[in-house]
Amino acid sequence: MAAYITHPALSSLCKINCNINAIYSLISFSRRISISSVLSTSAVTTESEAAGQGVRGQRRSKRQAGEPRTERMTVDQDWTAVYPTAASFKPSTVPLPVRMGYPVKRGVPPAKKGNLELIKIPNFLHLTPVAIKKHCEALKQFCTEWPSALDSDEKCMKHFPIQVQSKEFVSAGLSLKNPDARIVTLKVKLSSLNLDDHARKKMIKLGEERYCKDTDTLTITTDSCPLRQQNYDYAMYLLTVLYHESWKTEAWEQEKTRADMEEYEWEDSPSQKNVLDTLLRMRPLGAKDEVEELLGQPAVQEYRDTMLRLKNEGETEENLHKYKEAVKKLFNI
Amino acid sequence: MNLHKLSSRLCPTATQKFRHLHIPSSGQQLEAVALETASAEPNPLSVFRTSEQDPTYHSEGHTGQYYMLPPAHIQKLFPYGLPPRFQLQIKTFNEGCVMVRPPALELISYLKRADYSKPPLRYVLHGDIGTGKTMSLCHVLHYCYTQGWLIVHIPDAHLWIKNCKELLPSSSRPSRFDQPIQASQWLKNFKITNERFLSKLKTTQRYVWTKRESTKKGQPLGELIDQGVNRMKSSSDVVGAVLRELRLQAGGTTEGEGAFKLTVAVDGVNALWGKTSLKKEDRTMCEPEELTLIHNLRKMMKNNWSGGAILTALSQTGSVFKPRSAYLPNELLGEEGFDSMEPFVPVSVSNYNEKEFESCYLYYLDRSWLQHPHSRSEEGKKELIFLCNKNPSILERLCAAL
Repeated sequence: MAAYITHPALSSLCKINCNINAIYSLISFSRRISISSVLSTSAVTTESEAAGQGVRGQRRSKRQAGEPRTERMTVDQDWTAVYPTAASFKPSTVPLPVRMGYPVKRGVPPAKKGNLELIKIPNFLHLTPVAIKKHCEALKQFCTEWPSALDSDEKCMKHFPIQVQSKEFVSAGLSLKNPDARIVTLKVKLSSLNLDDHARKKMIKLGEERYCKDTDTLTITTDSCPLRQQNYDYAMYLLTVLYHESWKTEAWEQEKTRADMEEYEWEDSPSQKNVLDTLLRMRPLGAKDEVEELLGQPAVQEYRDTMLRLKNEGETEENLHKYKEAVKKLFNI
Repeated sequence: MNLHKLSSRLCPTATQKFRHLHIPSSGQQLEAVALETASAEPNPLSVFRTSEQDPTYHSEGHTGQYYMLPPAHIQKLFPYGLPPRFQLQIKTFNEGCVMVRPPALELISYLKRADYSKPPLRYVLHGDIGTGKTMSLCHVLHYCYTQGWLIVHIPDAHLWIKNCKELLPSSSRPSRFDQPIQASQWLKNFKITNERFLSKLKTTQRYVWTKRESTKKGQPLGELIDQGVNRMKSSSDVVGAVLRELRLQAGGTTEGEGAFKLTVAVDGVNALWGKTSLKKEDRTMCEPEELTLIHNLRKMMKNNWSGGAILTALSQTGSVFKPRSAYLPNELLGEEGFDSMEPFVPVSVSNYNEKEFESCYLYYLDRSWLQHPHSRSEEGKKELIFLCNKNPSILERLCAAL
């Protein structure tokens, strides 16, 4: 049913005369005629409107809706004036021919006029680039200048290696606060810290799954304290403790076994022993111990390289092929 | 097609002439071919066969061609060594034909060039499932047999770590377990294969089996094996003794009758270092180390003897607790296995290439194995290629249904 605007005079008229049945019928009859002469709607709607008016009694007159605002919009208008704040989608205000919804019976999605789907969803019509530029211009008076020396990402990372992230939440509900706002994430690259070989390995072991090997980043996430400030302090404290602990060497670290090693080392490995044994059996040593000499041969070095690659990088066809070549050279096949 | 069948029926299989389909090093080989095929009319469909039955003379020119295994050799060399499907194929076709392929040729060339006074080299055949590792191993074994080597062949090491009906505690060592059935079966096969060596080799020390039975020093090896076959209880220990004797005597004396080269061929070698599916009496899992047979076999795998070669093939098909996609040595052998087998020469076996597929297809056609009329056409062939991706075992199973 198309909505119609109640004419104030007529409505007051009908209110006054509603109790008098006879006059009411006269007035309703006259009103029906006047409405039908003014409106050029279809006969069906007039009929139904009349029936409705007849049944319900007081009826507000229907005024035809004027042309939508979009007809009068120019291309270079100021959009921020149309949507200055977040508002729902108004089909008469947005000049885009948007369609949304499920196409019923192999048709097309319904048009924007009266489309509830478009109204339901959130829109960002109030945040166009122009609008954001205006926001920035307005906020500029409260900002200080970006330091000119930090003009590239690398320089920023070099001087400020620790990145702290936290989220702000704005909600309009019973309470303005959001408990997730207390979470603080601290990211730092281990290459920017002053660590030697042992300290680095120990830090990675202590960090367990907080360390990402691909990006060499240690990520510490804290949410145990109720306030963001406290969480930030706790994260900084954790970083400091990790750093200092990894520089210390405990007594029990001497018991580190081969299984604990992060990388495969060829020295002292069963592989080296095997190769040595085989070479010795092939050519027994002379009086002098020439183990280092044997191991220093280029063929053995090449074998060592391929073994390291196989074990550290994983096994692929390529690595296996190189291993085969190295073994062939070692035994002169 | 009919003409060809007629001609193949007329000419006996062994004397079919061969021609090279592809021309790698064109001039020389064509000349050689022209000399040899002087009399026969060119028969393009018998391209896939070669009359060269001795693997010693197989070379790159023969790749992709089938050569026939002499039936006498099959009986002696492979009583249980060939894959079960291939044995069925032999029965159906009345002949055993093996395709000459690059991995086997590579291995044979290594064996020809190796120095046998040095410790044995270990070769590991690896590849995806169904690419022909076991068949290549058998081909190389045939070469070793024709050369007169002593062959220690374990057809499938996986059979020793699973489905054992009887698991006895070892009589000699308390912590180990014996598998009498498997051990005695293997001893029987070993006897069939290496008949001629058994009287020549002698034991080097005295072995005591029970209070009343012992084998004296200097007895022929045949007696030792008979002891193991007859007395099931001590058969696993006999296996260990036999292996030990062979290790000590291989390639030892270069003059006299005692000289022989030893080849140890194990299929499914990853079984030696994996897990078993056998349980002890108190329901805990058995480690491979605790089985006598496996323990002795591991000792053979080490290269602390000389005068032979160790040929192995990995196998995922029979293995327990290994994912189906694993086919690289490290994955299948595991840490321990890799460390023990090292340094080894990995030989990769892959699917058929164009020429080999062609050859296999023609062979099946020749044997009238492909009955479906559509399989004879070009389209049918393309369909076969698409379905099996030139994987030998899948192709064989597909063709069996046609």
